[in-house]
Amino acid sequence: MALVACFLAPSLLIFLLYRILPLIWNVVLSFEAWSPLHAATWVGWDNYDEMLHDDDVFWQALWNTLIFMASQPIGVAIALGIALLVNSDLKGAAVYRTIVFLSYPLMTVAVAIIWRWMYNERGGLINFVLRRLGIIHQPIAFLDSFAWALPSTIVANTWQVLGFFMIVLLTGLQNIPPHLYEAARVDGAPAWARLFRITLPMLKPSLFLCAVISILNSFAAFDLVYVMTNGGPGHGTELLITYIYKVGFGQTRFDYAAALTVAQFVLLLALAWLANRASGGNAGALE
Amino acid sequence: MKRRTFLAGTAATALARPAIAQSSKKLTFLSWNIVDQADMFKRWFAAFTAEHPGVEIEWLDKKGPDLPPFYQTQLAAGTPPDVLDLQGGIGIEYAAQGALLDLTPYLTAHPDVRARFNQDYLNNWVWEGKTWLVPFYVAKTLLFYNKPLFQKAGLAGPATSFDELLAHAEKIGAGGTDQTGFLTLNFDWLYWALFKMNGVDLLSPDLKQPVFDTPKLVEVTEKLAKATAGTAINKISWTGRWVEPLGAFASGKVGMLNAHAPAYFFLKGQGAWINQDTLGVAELPGNWSVPTLHGYGISKGTKNPDLAWAFVEFCTARKQAQEMADSRRVLTAYTEVDNALMGHLEKDEPLAHAVLATQLEHTDKLCGNWPLPNDSRIKDAFYPELQNALLGRKDAKSALDEASRKVARELRRA
Repeated sequence: MALVACFLAPSLLIFLLYRILPLIWNVVLSFEAWSPLHAATWVGWDNYDEMLHDDDVFWQALWNTLIFMASQPIGVAIALGIALLVNSDLKGAAVYRTIVFLSYPLMTVAVAIIWRWMYNERGGLINFVLRRLGIIHQPIAFLDSFAWALPSTIVANTWQVLGFFMIVLLTGLQNIPPHLYEAARVDGAPAWARLFRITLPMLKPSLFLCAVISILNSFAAFDLVYVMTNGGPGHGTELLITYIYKVGFGQTRFDYAAALTVAQFVLLLALAWLANRASGGNAGALE
Repeated sequence: MKRRTFLAGTAATALARPAIAQSSKKLTFLSWNIVDQADMFKRWFAAFTAEHPGVEIEWLDKKGPDLPPFYQTQLAAGTPPDVLDLQGGIGIEYAAQGALLDLTPYLTAHPDVRARFNQDYLNNWVWEGKTWLVPFYVAKTLLFYNKPLFQKAGLAGPATSFDELLAHAEKIGAGGTDQTGFLTLNFDWLYWALFKMNGVDLLSPDLKQPVFDTPKLVEVTEKLAKATAGTAINKISWTGRWVEPLGAFASGKVGMLNAHAPAYFFLKGQGAWINQDTLGVAELPGNWSVPTLHGYGISKGTKNPDLAWAFVEFCTARKQAQEMADSRRVLTAYTEVDNALMGHLEKDEPLAHAVLATQLEHTDKLCGNWPLPNDSRIKDAFYPELQNALLGRKDAKSALDEASRKVARELRRA
């Protein structure tokens, strides 16, 4: 035991110093009024009171984050479809798999810049194609429009993570014992039945993993939104994470930013718990 | 060498190191996105350290959006840079937070330094009767216009009133595919001259109450929103930062641009069509403009305040200021230096001369710069609501009412 403790101690120490202590300090800070040049004073629930009752940007950012999160299953569903295709006898499946995966290793900043160019009202590829096809006659200001800005960033985000979800689901598909499908075919089960009775249940762990990662991704999509729209127009694409950054480093309100961070943390814990319950209570493991 | 001699020598060197370290001083200088002047700064640092033996200068440069977060973290760590170059209203904000050193005693002790500068520009950094920064380089907004597009639209010259400006923009915007009439930069209140020319102020004279929510501003905002919904005003005016709006004007498809003088050099680099015959420069109607100033400040947490001041005094001296002006083609608010620069440009670069001439005129009609301790929060309270109105998400009255409520809340918290 002593030897085990010795080997674990360095990692645990780092975990304590860089994760636990800052987390505790952040919670304490959320109950204080503090700036880098003034000592902290205890203000109790003031920051939370402001957040819940006097900050409509917080609610807008929360709503946008939840929409971002709710859109993630679309990406997972598309990734599942692609995974099913490349797992079949389709000619060139390996090439398609590589092409789809290529988006994932790209730096998110590069992805944001590329999509910003593509969405550009003046010379962007998307407006060019839509106008050439006669679908629109005036260019659409995708990133400058309240109606289009958030969906546009969601599309860019989905494109980037599609490859990763595809690989995870493909791995899950390849681990399904083939004899289950053979037995089902022998029994005369149609394709849709094999999908819903065998494939999806057996993919539960992989789907749970994709769900959790997609939830975390929607709360952490700082760099994509910051580069594409900086939360605009008019907080139309503001996420909790971008708002926290602006409050802390733009408005120099580290105390209030700490309260926002605590709120986000509580929300994330609640969502992770709900996801676990929805998947059967054992992180999606098969029984 | 004998072992004993070697050991004695090593011990002597080890003991001397602290003494050597104590006799050298380190000065950190944080600049705002000016890494293109690296060679010039290296010459300055060499000259300064020659005059101040034992001083070492560390230079850090950050892009605009990165500098404030970097400075905050340095403040929190207790290691703020000694001297910093700050843009716009953020200097007063840091002064109000207690991050900067009051430079008034230094300026009082060195009246020759104070006298160097255009006082209208220097007064932009006065808060609570004290001066917190001194000018590094200065600019203010002007109207750039595309002469061929003006001729095509049958317009004789720049507008002399707000309504005429919008009428010009509408005519140009109606003139062709993807053409728009007017574009403005929107960061640091650069658009405020559009409101000031209509008699609208943001805050009361004591800076304690919002006073902008008036029928006049509602009317102006409605006109701007209508123009933005059409082709008169380019939507990027309200959503872009620097590259996109300037790129749009440089493409030759926008009739007018409200931007500050440094934009000229970006436009010239991007727009092959730009020359003395095709690019016009003028003041906005009413000669109102918004300054974008860069100033030198000293962190209150500096361990060497007098040395930091000596560095600032050195950087703003005639030789250095002239070098900066000539190298970057920018005004320094050092009156003699700026006059000398204008003299060179009149012969060598007439168009640049015309652009910079607007920077020296009507400096008594600067607007859009309020000495606020919470400038960034006021901006965050006001601008998104203005965007809501200009981009058609809300009607002007509701948006400005909401903006007024939010600005009042921030002023109460200050």
